[in-house]
Amino acid sequence: MLLKDRVQLAYSALIRQKLRSVLTMIALSIGIASVVIIISAGKGLEGMVLSELDIYNPNTLNIEVRIPGKGEQGSATGMASGITITTLKNSDMDEIGKHKNIDAVYAYVTSQAVIKYQGENKTVIIFGYGARAPEVETIELSEGRFYEPDEENSLSQVIVIGSKVKDDLFGSDTAVDKSVYINGKSFRVVGVLVERGASFGFDFDSLVYIPTLTLQKKMIGTDYVMGINARVTDMSHIDSTKEDVEILLRDRHDITDPDKDDFKVTTMDEIRGTLETIVGGITLLLVALVCISLIVGGVGITNIMYVTVAERTFEIGLRKSVGAKNKDILWQFLIEAIILTFGGGVIGVALGFIISYGVYYGAVGYGLNWTFEIPIYSIILALGFSAAVGLFFGLYPAKKAANLNPIEALRKE
Amino acid sequence: MSITKLIQVENLTKQYENEEVVTKILHGLTFDIEKGEFVSIMGPSGSGKSTLMHILGFLDKLSTGVFSFEGRDVSQLNDDELADMRSKKIGFVFQAFNLLNRASALENVMLPMLYTDATKKERTNRAKELLTQVGLEHRMEHSPSQLSGGEKQRVAIARALVNNPQVIFADEPTGNLDSKSGLQVMKILQDLNEEGNTIILVTHEKYTAEHAKRILKIRDGLIVDDSLVTQRQLAGLNGELTK
Repeated sequence: MLLKDRVQLAYSALIRQKLRSVLTMIALSIGIASVVIIISAGKGLEGMVLSELDIYNPNTLNIEVRIPGKGEQGSATGMASGITITTLKNSDMDEIGKHKNIDAVYAYVTSQAVIKYQGENKTVIIFGYGARAPEVETIELSEGRFYEPDEENSLSQVIVIGSKVKDDLFGSDTAVDKSVYINGKSFRVVGVLVERGASFGFDFDSLVYIPTLTLQKKMIGTDYVMGINARVTDMSHIDSTKEDVEILLRDRHDITDPDKDDFKVTTMDEIRGTLETIVGGITLLLVALVCISLIVGGVGITNIMYVTVAERTFEIGLRKSVGAKNKDILWQFLIEAIILTFGGGVIGVALGFIISYGVYYGAVGYGLNWTFEIPIYSIILALGFSAAVGLFFGLYPAKKAANLNPIEALRKE
Repeated sequence: MSITKLIQVENLTKQYENEEVVTKILHGLTFDIEKGEFVSIMGPSGSGKSTLMHILGFLDKLSTGVFSFEGRDVSQLNDDELADMRSKKIGFVFQAFNLLNRASALENVMLPMLYTDATKKERTNRAKELLTQVGLEHRMEHSPSQLSGGEKQRVAIARALVNNPQVIFADEPTGNLDSKSGLQVMKILQDLNEEGNTIILVTHEKYTAEHAKRILKIRDGLIVDDSLVTQRQLAGLNGELTK
């Protein structure tokens, strides 16, 4: 028997049960669409998260304070509950800046305050940012300039404001050279940031930058910092530079046991790798969950094929009595199952494509830096899995049909 | 017509075992059927005649004894070879017609050819030729539900002939028909026999059985009589009887 005839036979049987065939395909397609959507959303999320890191050059070293003797998680929880580490100082930054492979460095501190201009009030996050920050990370301005090292060293009261802060306080007027007030102190606006949107749940348009030293000395009266970012000149030595910085800081902080470090040095690659791992892990978990719906769809196929075989017992008996071999019957029903799953696969991929694009469209409309990507492996995974499901779940009913006794089957008209 | 032993049966028995209860159906049958014969297997219900037909039609396996077809020992054949024999060597005509209701008359006749190497064109041409031969050239695209009983049985006969079989098995072919349609069917079978086809008719009716040239009478799984028909019934073209 020719394959063409086999396919035609299966096809015409499915056409006769149009509604049932379509419903079975839809049941399976939902699972398949979910796989495509989740993998695509994972990619979109990953692209969005990683694009937030694009403002940092890959040759950046980040040094952040941490609670000694606690794990990664313990430290983060501790700091979130209000523990402050005060051991990282401006002088640490100065020493790090002397390393031969580091050519730019700045320290940062954050605080919160109300900013005032002509009766308008706005609560903002204040970033104390060293004046050399633009050499280490990308800071794009729509107006004016970033403050200079001289201005920081002289504790100038200068400020760079986020786009939303500018809009709220100044509307369509220019902000540069105007004075705003924070805690009763006057700050001269030197620059306005371009609109960036939110990421990691943080609104980058509602922040302001003032020089770290100005913030420490004139506003909060401390001499410690939360972190330091440094730019390395020779990327190939970034790992040894990282070790040098660790040794330097341990020496300055009198630490002998690395487990008791009160700081953590990370490269951008490590941060990127960590984020990729997290997003990949979440995606994998969701895909695994969605695979359950694929199995449900597969059981649906088995169920329908069982019904079909039962309904067509007489037909099977007749076909066998006129010369159909067991394998002819097996293929007839197996091909039906495969067409159902493949049809479900195609519908599912198309559905997944459309919904993923909708998610992308919505995310971009919401201001997220989402990317639209349907990895080819997600389509292969979805279709491959559906074909495997069809074979696996279609085989048993098809085998049952093939092994029917023709004499008994013929009695079931 | 050359006389070759088409079917040889020696001491054939058949028994079913169901939960250790053994039911003996056939108790040791011995007979030959030659090519070109028209034989009726006659017996009351429960005599084992249907079981015998299933064995001779490669649908069932014997328990002991020998059944050879064209000199081949059928008990040595595997499932695929048996299917091949059903496809090429025999054609069935059933009491209940056993047509696929969803398919047209033409498709029903083509069905056995689906399991051969025939192309679609060959299948269509052959099926049309046979439907014309049984007088249904105007009913080819009709579904069985649109046909009368006699027409259905003629479709079934065309189907049985489609692969040029060595034997046609007709199991109570007139059982569901009025007498006129029944006679038309018998007429076709007799004509086919005149053309050289071997026909084995299974029936419980003496009158139907007498359309054949020879009758094997079976009772309780044994052959009780094997003789030629002396007063043969001949069916006419329009369903009347000509003695």
